[in-house]
Amino acid sequence: MLKFATKSKIFPTIMKRSILVVLLFSLTLVSCIGDDFIDDRVAERISINNPISEIEVNDSYQLEVTFFNNIGQPETINLNWSSSDESIATVSPQGLLTAVALGDVIISISATLTDGTLIEESQMISVRAQVDDNATLLTKSGVIATTSSYVLTGDFTISEIQDSPNLDLQIAENYQASTSLPGLYLYLSNNPNSINGALEVGPVSIFNGAHSYELENVGINEYQYLLYWCKPFSVKVGDGEITD
Amino acid sequence: MVKSQIKSNMKKLTLFISIVLLAQMSFGQWSKGKGKGYYKLSAWYLNTDQHYTDTGEIDPNATRTQFNLNFYGEYGLSDKLDVIAYVPFFARATQNNILSGTTGAIIQEGEGINSIGDIDLGFNYNFFKKGKWSASAKLLFGLPTGEDAGGSDGSYQTGDGEFNQYLSGLLGYSTSFNGAPFFAKAYLGYNNRTQNFSDEVRFGLESGINLFNNKLWLIGRLDVVESTFNGSLNAQNVAQGSIFANNIEFVGIGAEASYYITEKFGVSLGFGGAISGRLIAANPSLTGGIFLDIK
Repeated sequence: MLKFATKSKIFPTIMKRSILVVLLFSLTLVSCIGDDFIDDRVAERISINNPISEIEVNDSYQLEVTFFNNIGQPETINLNWSSSDESIATVSPQGLLTAVALGDVIISISATLTDGTLIEESQMISVRAQVDDNATLLTKSGVIATTSSYVLTGDFTISEIQDSPNLDLQIAENYQASTSLPGLYLYLSNNPNSINGALEVGPVSIFNGAHSYELENVGINEYQYLLYWCKPFSVKVGDGEITD
Repeated sequence: MVKSQIKSNMKKLTLFISIVLLAQMSFGQWSKGKGKGYYKLSAWYLNTDQHYTDTGEIDPNATRTQFNLNFYGEYGLSDKLDVIAYVPFFARATQNNILSGTTGAIIQEGEGINSIGDIDLGFNYNFFKKGKWSASAKLLFGLPTGEDAGGSDGSYQTGDGEFNQYLSGLLGYSTSFNGAPFFAKAYLGYNNRTQNFSDEVRFGLESGINLFNNKLWLIGRLDVVESTFNGSLNAQNVAQGSIFANNIEFVGIGAEASYYITEKFGVSLGFGGAISGRLIAANPSLTGGIFLDIK
């Protein structure tokens, strides 16, 4: 009887302490939301938003550019503008191009970063006596490739649309994506590893074959990558660099 | 996005809860016996930053955690029939903050949800016992009591949102090695799933040995889940942007140590995880708890 009484006393104490330990351990685990860091460093660059290849002599044209910092975000920075031949065309410190005489000229835009690195972008422009009003619509292209072990492949083109601020994104017939991918979304981004500041085109609903998207109010030089992103896992599945 | 249309990828995580359930069985006894029972209060935790993809390779993902506090009980309604209940009465799913490695700025805020998890209820019937051999059948109903589309994007789950009916047969053998009780079990089961998910064939092995004068049970497990690929759910036929994971498969291993502090009361620690798989988390889960074994 004595033995039984001793056990029955100890038993609840152990049990209570054990439950307390389980609960405290649980609360410690439960309360934590940690941090994941992603490697989102990219090379800084300058992009000409409204490039032209030709201009009529004596005409002016306001060039607009954007500086993208080391995470692919637009940032205001001091820019230096220069012309390779000011007898053909001049450019103001604000980017106003003025055609002076017939010929070809290279307009350069540069910026010096805080660490002394020089970033530069340039474009050749021809000064003509007359320029066709129907300016050539720009088209860029690229290859979608998986960066994961999910199937994702295909070619694409991205083109300006006549008299429209929109772009036409055409995904080619050879496009293929895994249907096992959870929550797959398409973005336009200036950082191949992040959707920070990216334009969400929308959820992917076509997993093979040709299809297209109309991208509203997007400049042909505004984004550098197509980015296929798994939203629930917050990871990149694949990308495609938009090239000239 | 309509919440009810969302099928979450985190089903792959909740599948581990099933592994935990398998791991909750009391040791070496094929049925409890009338009026006897085994009751366990556990915490279960999974922290996963990678998963097996549809090709079986391992890819990274944002760190997600699944946690629950659960009660597991077996009670003998008769000498051959036990009632079984698994009740995750508190469940939590979280995702870490996503930060820029360059600037340290938050790109995506972390998030967490709390709810009850999916409850399993069922029966185990011991229909054969002769010498060292025993056979039983188990029927479990997986009730969709958990959250299947929580959080800002619907991907936070504490349940799979569908009603499972799992029927399995179990064959067991018990003996002793140098006086230490030993058992081995093999099971084969079929999990009928609803909501256009593929059904599953599950099979596995479990073995345990009792050491230190009936004080310590050491258990090892192997669990295999194979999809029957008969469910139509995939990314092409669900609402745009929906997230889901159908046709999950894995080979999982687990181990558990249970120590009897008194004749009836003890503590247990265990782990389990997939060693290969398809669309399932690729990190081990941990469990710890206390149990009461009324023999």
